[in-house]
This record gives sequence, C-alpha cells and structure tokens, in this order.
Amino acid sequence: MDGLLVGVDLCDEYTQINCPEEEMLWTIPTVICRNKNADEWYVGEEAYAHTLKGDGIIVDKLLNLAMRDGTATLGEVRYGGKELLFLFLERILKLPQREYQKTKTDRVVFTVKRLDPKMNRMLRDLGVRLGISEEQVQVISHSESFIYYTLSQKKEIWNNTVGMFDLAEAGLRYYEMKVQRGMKKVTVVAEYEDREEGFSLDILKTLSGSRLADRIMISCAEKIMAKKAYSAIFLTGKGFADQKWAEGLMKFLCSKRKVYMEQGLMARGAACRAGEEPGNNASFTCICDGRLKTTVSMNVLHRGQENNVTVAAAGDCWYDRVSVIDVIPDRQNTVDFIVTSVDSKKKRLISIPLEGFPKRPEKTTRVQIQVLFLDERTMEVTLKDRGFGELFPASSTQIRQEVML
Amino acid sequence: MSLLLCRQEHVKRPYFMESMGIHLYSSQELSYVIFNHPMLVLDGFVDERLLTFLREELNQGFLALKVERWLKSGENPDEALMIILQECDYYSMAEVGRFRQMAAALRKKHPADFMRMKADELFSLRQYGRAVKLYKELLELPSSEHVDDLFFGRVWNNLGSCYARMFQLDRAFEAFENAYKKSQQEVILERLYDLSRIDSRLILSQELQGEITEKQQKLWDDRLIRARQKARDSKQVKELEALFQKDPVKRQAGEAERIYQWKQEYRNMA
Repeated sequence: MDGLLVGVDLCDEYTQINCPEEEMLWTIPTVICRNKNADEWYVGEEAYAHTLKGDGIIVDKLLNLAMRDGTATLGEVRYGGKELLFLFLERILKLPQREYQKTKTDRVVFTVKRLDPKMNRMLRDLGVRLGISEEQVQVISHSESFIYYTLSQKKEIWNNTVGMFDLAEAGLRYYEMKVQRGMKKVTVVAEYEDREEGFSLDILKTLSGSRLADRIMISCAEKIMAKKAYSAIFLTGKGFADQKWAEGLMKFLCSKRKVYMEQGLMARGAACRAGEEPGNNASFTCICDGRLKTTVSMNVLHRGQENNVTVAAAGDCWYDRVSVIDVIPDRQNTVDFIVTSVDSKKKRLISIPLEGFPKRPEKTTRVQIQVLFLDERTMEVTLKDRGFGELFPASSTQIRQEVML
Repeated sequence: MSLLLCRQEHVKRPYFMESMGIHLYSSQELSYVIFNHPMLVLDGFVDERLLTFLREELNQGFLALKVERWLKSGENPDEALMIILQECDYYSMAEVGRFRQMAAALRKKHPADFMRMKADELFSLRQYGRAVKLYKELLELPSSEHVDDLFFGRVWNNLGSCYARMFQLDRAFEAFENAYKKSQQEVILERLYDLSRIDSRLILSQELQGEITEKQQKLWDDRLIRARQKARDSKQVKELEALFQKDPVKRQAGEAERIYQWKQEYRNMA
C-alpha cells in the first residue's frame, strides 16, 4: 500500500492520531470552527484561536452531535453533525499525510469509547466519503485498542493480568486484560468498568483538590486491585497528563508492579490494528466490548456426516456480523443452535420450533436462517420459509426470535 | 433427524423440466424430481441441456464431467442418475441404493406397461396434454398376449379422463365409449352418463341407454347432484363469489388476475 495507515482515537474532548510503528502522536481537540466572513474551516487549537480572535464560530463535541443526528448553525448555514465531523476528519487526516509525505490514506482504524452499530455505520460511511475503501475502514472499541497496544509490547508486560486506569474529563474507567493460552489459539479477554469515583479534572488545579483526587484514586485502586497479580498497570487519559497530583497513587501502584504512563495509548492501539490486514485472522481471539463472548454453531448433515457449522464465533464483531445459511430439515421441526461460552466452555442448546410453517413432504422445505446480533448478549434469529422451488412454492411464513446468549 | 446444509447455488437460468412444466432452481430440487419421478427421467433425461445446467448454473463442473464420461463409456445409462443423486448429497447412500433397485425393477417391465406408467405419471402431475400423446401411442400398439382388451380399455379410460380434465368433453365421451366397449366396466358407463348430463350435445346411444337400469340412473343422478353441490360449496367458488361482491375496480383487477392464472394453468396442463 502506498498510502498511509492510521489509527484514530475519536473522543468528544480530543482526537488522537498515530501511525503504525511511529512515535509521533497528534492530539487535537475535537472542535471545528468556521470563519464568519469566508468559507474557511479550522480544527483543534486553531479553531480555538479563531474563536478567541472573534472571527469564527466554534462547534465542539462533534462525535456526540453526529451520533444524535444534531445540527449546528454557522454563519447562517445549518450543518448536520455528520457533515461537521466529516470536515473535521478530513482536516486532521492531513496532519500525518503532511508529516510522512503521503498523498492519501489507505486504511483507517477508529477507536471509540462506546461502540454500537450506529457508530460503526456512521464512521464507516465517513471513511468511505474520505476516499478510503469500505473494507479498509474499521471501528474498534477502546478495549480492543488496549489489547492491541498491550500485545505490541514485550511479553513480560502481558504475561499476567494487565490493568489500566483511564482518567478523563468524562469520567474514570478501569480496564483489565488477561491472556488465556488455549490448546489451539490464545484468547485475550479485556473488560472495563465505568467507576463512580470519577471527578472533574478542574480540582487538580488546587493543592487541596489534588490531595483529594489522590486519595480517591488510591481508595479506588485498592478496591480494584486487591488480591490480584498484575504484570503491568497503565495510566492514560488527560487526568494523568501530569501525575504530580497522584504521588500517593503512584506509590501504591509501583509497589511490586510495573506502571506505565501512556497518553496516546488508544490511538497507538488503533494504529497497531491498522498495521494488520483487515480480514486476516489474528493470531489470537479478541474478547472485549464490540465482540462476541460466545460461539454460536449448528449441527448439520453434510455428505452423510454430522458436522458442526459455526454461525458466529467468539471474538467476531457482533455489530457487523450477519450470517445467512439455508438448511432443509429432515424429519425435524426445529432449528437448533449450540451456544458455547468462551469463559466456561459450557454448551447450551437453543431450539426454535418451525411453528406455522406449511406442512409438506419430508425434506421439501428450505429454511433460510439469518442470524445477527442486537448487542453482544442478544442474538436475533430469523427463520424464513423458502419453499422448494416451483415444486412447493415458498409461503410468507417467517419466525423472528431474540435469544439471550 | 437432522438439518441438511444447502449449497450456495446462484441459479440465474433455471432448468425447465418439460415433462412436469416446472423450473428447477437447485440441486436438491433436481434430486427430488429424479427420486420421486423415475418414470420421467429414465429415458433421455440426462442430456447436454442437463449437463449445461449442472456445469453453468449449479457450478457442478466436476459432476457434469463425470456424468458425461459415464454416458460415453457405454455402461448402463441409468447409472448416470445415481451419480447425480450421490453428488448432489440430498439423499443418503441407502436412499440412492433404493432408487437403483427401483430403476432396475422398472426396466424389467413390459415396454407397453412402462409407457403406460409414464403416461399415468404425467396424468398424476396434471400434464394431460403430454399424457394424451403417450396414450395415443399406446393405442397404436398391435394386440398381443400382454397388450389385450383390458390393457386397451384402461388406456382409453385414462385418455378419456385426460380429455375431460382439459374440458374437451366430446373427445372424452368418445374415449370413454371405446373404453366401455373394451372393458364393459360400470364405472365407465357412469362417466358416459355423467358427461351426457353435463353436456346436452353428448347423447348416449340407444344401446348404452338400454344398459342403464333405473336404479343405476337414480344413484348416478344423486351422485352428480352431490358433486355439483360440493363444487358450489368449494373454497374456490366462494372466493370467486366474494370477488364479484367487490367494487368494480377491485373486481376487474381480481378477474384479470384469476383469468391469467387459469390460462397459465390450462396452458401448462394442455
């Protein structure tokens, strides 16, 4: 690929950009400003500068605005949130292009705090509008970025539990990652918890506030980390940009543990992911938010032998996973799924009866099975009667069922 | 109990199964037709058109080649059907074995019986036009020990039924007359009587009229009345009556649709 591979951590406060195996990190406030007198746009710090100067109108929280299909009126023109986010992304992606003297971006991996199908679709669409082919635009969660970043480090860092505190204006989030070595493949599980102990970063501006923040964080860390063996702890987010306020916390964390400060961790993780070919099976199974924690399969007959067909595997992205297969029941009036949890390896059988399907001779009903996921714990199954050609024409019978995994 | 996994077959040009008047869109449908209608596939079914369908539409190039080579080898051509059944994986090996036995048993039939069974199969599939052609061919056969009056009586009767179902009542009447001459069966006489009551142009000969007793006449009249009442109460007639209750615009659209459907059905059967 001639163009650039980019990882973008897109948040409402700021956006960070990094490229695979590059140290350079761009941190840009997620704001855009339009010149009052001309059709000129500025992003980040430049946008603030023009607003202070008085010749521009600024819009912030661009991701939120786009996600709620909001609008902003700038210079008597109403702009959609998605349009503003597009203009913002168009401009910030030029920063690494200029730095590395590339004329285009070939692949972009966006990492976001909360990943859902709408966010995925919107960012993919914006990526395509930016001139990147759809399969080269990926959207991952912060948890996944954390995994990719950590696994790009030395093995001693991730051979045991890895924890991470992300302290930002929006709140405090704790991530935890474990590597499980299986017989066939390594499974990496990352989870997060939004902690109630989050505080406004403004309190760090005063001595008493800093002390209070330090005490809050120590208490929080003690609760979370009790009786666990960590191979590393990461501290990230704007709150840890300056750690002077967190002397007590650092003392606690650094006791028999390795602690790393990394400001652009999410963007760097996304860049690590951007360095991999999309669609290539990673050497590990990634289980985190945005990915399935269970494998859904079916037993089917093929060439006279019963085979297990995977409909969706643990580690697949649930939000863009749609499986469609056709089966013909033989002396069976149900469609059965086997749900296997990645944690316990326990198997659960889910049987959906073909109620209301027309009565026909054996093996003359083709059932189309469509499986998609409403979230990582909810599978939606649609069974459609496709008949048997002109011999037994299809009816409009359809069964839709939500299954809790 | 199991679920069969279907191959992804993106058929753009389906295979037209002429003898059944239907299109086949998948290897499963092809297998089903072969297995359930052996009479229709034992002669001349595996040809270049079918091989092209296998090759180009079902993406079964290897199977097409295998069948083609088998046919060229001069071995039993029926075995080509077993190859198709095996490769399409819709029937188990045991079922394919059963089909092989069934095909062998059919091959042992007398050629006249084989042809009549084929015509009967077409009749059961409502392919009356095609069945008529075969029944007529059967009537051309010279009489023999096997092809006797009873045989011809059955053929004439089935031919009459075909014509009746195509609403060609005069031809049906003539065929039933011939059938009655050959077999002297009461049930055929009843058919002739019914036809003469349905269509006033069809008149029973003095000779036949003389054979019908008063008791028979009363019984057949009752049956005909009941059959007519059953037809009047049928779902199709009720639907038609409901259609005529609709406002003119909806009625016209419904009529057009119904007539188109009837025409299609008639063309398919005749």
